[in-house]
Amino acid sequence: MMMSMAIESEVVKVKIADLAVLKERGIIITVGLGSCVGISLYDELSKVGGLSHILLAESRQFKNRENSLNHAKFADTAIPLLVNKMENMGAKKSRLKAKIAGGSQLFAFQKTNISVGERNIAMVRQTLRELDIPIVAEDVGGNYGRTMRLFVESGRVTISTVGKGEIEL
Amino acid sequence: MGQQRIDDSRLDVLKELANIGVGNAVTSLSQMLAGEKIDMDVPAAYLIPLQDIPASLEGEETAVVGVYIEGKGDLALTVLFVLSLESAANLISALIPGSSGDFDEMGLSVLMEVGNILTASYLNAISMMTNLQLLPTPPEVAVDMAGAIISTVLAEARVIDDEVVLLKTTLNTSQTRIEGSVLILPDEGALEKIFRILGLS
Repeated sequence: MMMSMAIESEVVKVKIADLAVLKERGIIITVGLGSCVGISLYDELSKVGGLSHILLAESRQFKNRENSLNHAKFADTAIPLLVNKMENMGAKKSRLKAKIAGGSQLFAFQKTNISVGERNIAMVRQTLRELDIPIVAEDVGGNYGRTMRLFVESGRVTISTVGKGEIEL
Repeated sequence: MGQQRIDDSRLDVLKELANIGVGNAVTSLSQMLAGEKIDMDVPAAYLIPLQDIPASLEGEETAVVGVYIEGKGDLALTVLFVLSLESAANLISALIPGSSGDFDEMGLSVLMEVGNILTASYLNAISMMTNLQLLPTPPEVAVDMAGAIISTVLAEARVIDDEVVLLKTTLNTSQTRIEGSVLILPDEGALEKIFRILGLS
């Protein structure tokens, strides 16, 4: 897991099962969200922004291996971790607003009723609800991959896809 | 695996298994392409951080074709074929004479069938060497950014460890101009089973 401090016009890349926080300026980017979900949290007043790229919904089922788990990999542990890191950089939890993207189903798997992507989205929503963080914009589901960018100066979030161009959340 | 480090000699064994398995698969592909010669790199076996897998293929945001198949039975593993859009189109045209190589239903089903045959021959080779029964699941195909395809496969495989064994090879044909990568991701426990059977544990 990498933590990044604010450096002028920095671009920080968040890999899968990773997260990053910046303050005041810079861009946090995560490439290739498929069934994974990208969670952007932003505090407008302190201009602290964070982005997390989760792979799976729940760490709970792997309790026996808790010590070796990467908390940034799971929705239920990554979001509290992200909030914590943001608070350490001056954000206030009560001011945080979330924008989420991803959770798609690229392959038409027929093996389970509920896809990994859907499970991920559901757990992201539940975790944010438990933390009282509102979701102000989202681009989730579908059958295509997404790249997500958080512009830390403004809190603007953009989503780009193959062949569908870029949208702003 | 994962909790314990995997040493070089074990990685060499996996490389050799992949070499024979993928070699077998390439022979099948060659038969589909009217005997055309296919060059295959010696497979590489890595212990790689999960987070670095998407970048192990060139261009995480590049649109590619991914064919995903699981091998199931006495052990489980995930196979992903990644082809550039151009290679996939060339493969479709080569196998359906007169086709434009479009990714329509027909084109995609050809790619899935190729994936199916390649994976079945790979799994056969593993079965022969280890006496383990392994069957491929029906293939799935996606055309999207490479990073999204790979991360989805990792999520589907429910990879919990932060370091995984990845087997990778590339193959190319000169006449039909097909270049592709094969990624093989053994499930948790699969490697220990293989090592045990081969007397390495």
